[in-house]
Amino acid sequence: MRNILLIFRRDYLGYVKAWGFWLSLAAVPLLMIIGAALAGFAAQSSPVRYFAVVEPGSIYANAIEAEFQRREQADAERTSEIVEQLDLPAMGEDDARAAAEGAGVANRKFIAVPAPAESIDGLRPYLLGEKTVSGPLGDKPLFAALILAEDGSELEYWSDDVNVDQLRYLAQDAMLRLARRDALTEAGLDEDFLQTVDDAAFAVPARRIRTVEEQDAAGNEVTMADRAPMFVAGGLAYFLWLMVFSIIQYLLMGTIEERSNKIFDTLLTSVKLPELLAGKLLAVFAVTSTMMLSWGLFAFAGGTVVATQIPGVGNIIEPFAAALANPAIIVPGLISFILGYIMYGMIFMALGSLCDTIQEAQTLLSPMMILLMLPMFAIFIAFQDPGSPLVDIASWIPFFTPFLLILRMPHDPPLWEVLAQMGLMAAFALLILWLSTKVYRAGAVHGAGIGDMGGMLKRMVGLKGKAA
Amino acid sequence: MPSSPLIMTSVTKRFGAFTAVDSLSLEVPDGQIIGFLGPNGAGKSTSLRMALGIMEPDSGEVELFGDKPNVRALQKVGFLPEERGLYKKMTARDTISHFARLKGLSAQDARARADELLGATGLEEFSRTRISKLSKGMAQKVQILSTLAHRPDFLILDEPFSGLDPVNQQALEDLIRTEHARGATILFSTHVMEHAERLCDRIIMMARGRKVLDGTLQEAFATLGQGARISVEAGFDLAAVLAPKGFEAIRTTDTGHGETWRIDLPPGREAQDALRAALEAGAPITGFAPEEARLRDVFVSLVGEADAAALAASLAEDEAA
Repeated sequence: MRNILLIFRRDYLGYVKAWGFWLSLAAVPLLMIIGAALAGFAAQSSPVRYFAVVEPGSIYANAIEAEFQRREQADAERTSEIVEQLDLPAMGEDDARAAAEGAGVANRKFIAVPAPAESIDGLRPYLLGEKTVSGPLGDKPLFAALILAEDGSELEYWSDDVNVDQLRYLAQDAMLRLARRDALTEAGLDEDFLQTVDDAAFAVPARRIRTVEEQDAAGNEVTMADRAPMFVAGGLAYFLWLMVFSIIQYLLMGTIEERSNKIFDTLLTSVKLPELLAGKLLAVFAVTSTMMLSWGLFAFAGGTVVATQIPGVGNIIEPFAAALANPAIIVPGLISFILGYIMYGMIFMALGSLCDTIQEAQTLLSPMMILLMLPMFAIFIAFQDPGSPLVDIASWIPFFTPFLLILRMPHDPPLWEVLAQMGLMAAFALLILWLSTKVYRAGAVHGAGIGDMGGMLKRMVGLKGKAA
Repeated sequence: MPSSPLIMTSVTKRFGAFTAVDSLSLEVPDGQIIGFLGPNGAGKSTSLRMALGIMEPDSGEVELFGDKPNVRALQKVGFLPEERGLYKKMTARDTISHFARLKGLSAQDARARADELLGATGLEEFSRTRISKLSKGMAQKVQILSTLAHRPDFLILDEPFSGLDPVNQQALEDLIRTEHARGATILFSTHVMEHAERLCDRIIMMARGRKVLDGTLQEAFATLGQGARISVEAGFDLAAVLAPKGFEAIRTTDTGHGETWRIDLPPGREAQDALRAALEAGAPITGFAPEEARLRDVFVSLVGEADAAALAASLAEDEAA
């Protein structure tokens, strides 16, 4: 154990003393801050543009204004729902809706102004920025003009910048609603007829079936507590995948460095090969854990700041924490995590021991990426369709089991399947451990290389060797 | 402690069809300096790696401190591999203390020992310098110090003089003597016979995976008998003209411009008799010297000219390096 810790300590310090580690450590929070700042800046700095509607009356302009208001109201309702979920003590639902509606008007990026001309030729200098129009924010060029065609069959959208087309889509929706309204009126129906129909439809609320005892205790409504286990399991599976993905470079490069430094003989006269491998694997695990823990702490700190601003956040976190503490999820999750890490870590380390140079290692990266992308697809499918037979079948493939067993747990798979898959995964991890140790020995002790795979396989079964 | 730190019995190692070590038996007595001699490819490094348990023999037995090679036994061993290697990003001090800790020293003792060794070899100012920033010679010194840091009972040095300049070769010879005086048993491999002549109590000679000699220096020289050296112009076959006169001649060096032959003197004949016979045969003599016995000649006489040429090639490679 002492030797494992010494190998671990040296490798760990070797990694964390490298500037690349600190760069990686800082990169994620920095990118998050920069990304958030940029998004905020983009939202704040997005220009407010003037547009005009050219028509004989004001039917289409009114329809567009109505569409603006409809969208603002929908946004306000969404905000109101969030406020309700967060149980904000300081603000009532109506206040929140009113605040959101007010903000919607204030935040409009397109403002209608009177048309300075009645034809496209007259509007041309305004649209090209040669002349300006007056509006609530002062004089500006006209960004777009919506002109009713002479035959009244379409509302043409004219602009110098056709890549910004939110206004065109909004106008399109407004025209659709206007056409529906006209059709209903023509059919002798009230304008709010469709809304009345919508309101009359039965709701289909989700109900969670439970035992009578459980139902008496917890009710039958579907809450976040019912959904949280799936999110937690998905998060764990993705975290394992991310961990495995992150270690490739460390394990490959670390092993290549030792091989090119010709240090194995010295090490192997001080420690046993399994001790050496365990120490190295632990060190890389600790390095990636340090990174992820740091990012987690950063996220936690950010979350705490948010929580102090929005007191109801704790109510959302609670079911996730409960799911994470559920032994039915966390025990298989931890076992899968450890075995998956050992399995993939040993494979990468063994392959690294066959490489003399980074160029050689790069030739291995493509098959490794494919190997790693397959479980990622499987995670994706499992998330999209948790009960999919494909996921059930794929979870029996040992390379995928660490990821998919975690994802199956929220759906209460049969106990025998869980135990059998864990057993199979453990047996496969042992097989990989044995094979990888052989490959590592062939690479590190006998000097087998990536271009010498045939010879290396023969060495593994003791048929051939290379003079040292 | 057992009287022999290392005993190898009928050890064989094959790599496919190639037999690297063939039925090697040897014993390293406690407290001696043993030279393990032979050209590159003779099986020295493979034998040493088997002695340390890095590599398993196909057959035969290895006993290190009375047991199969294991981590506990290896804690008493200091090993300098032929292929030198250190962690390039570690400092000299951290390197020495890391390897000392792997051999069982506490953190405090390991650091103190690293400081002591670096001070004793004049490297204290480079103590916090990364290995990658050190010269090749200095890095080799650090590796040797790492080998000695835990005060091993048994030192195994694989080609320790390889790559060192003459000054550092001399310093290493002194270090080996110091370690020997401390009580360490030392086994070192080399293809430079002169080091063995100066340092060793016993020598083991290897050629083509087989042991060809195992004994003291005196026993090695005794295999030669008395002799003389005659140098002639290139292309002249001295053996052919001396054989009828009762002298056996073996070509030992060929420089391209001339050849040196070792003449084996039969009982009762002297070096001058061989010179006279060569002159009478019309040999184009360029040099003559009564023989001072050398290990290289012992090696040549034991293994023949082919392996002597391999030894010369090893030396040439070493000089080029």
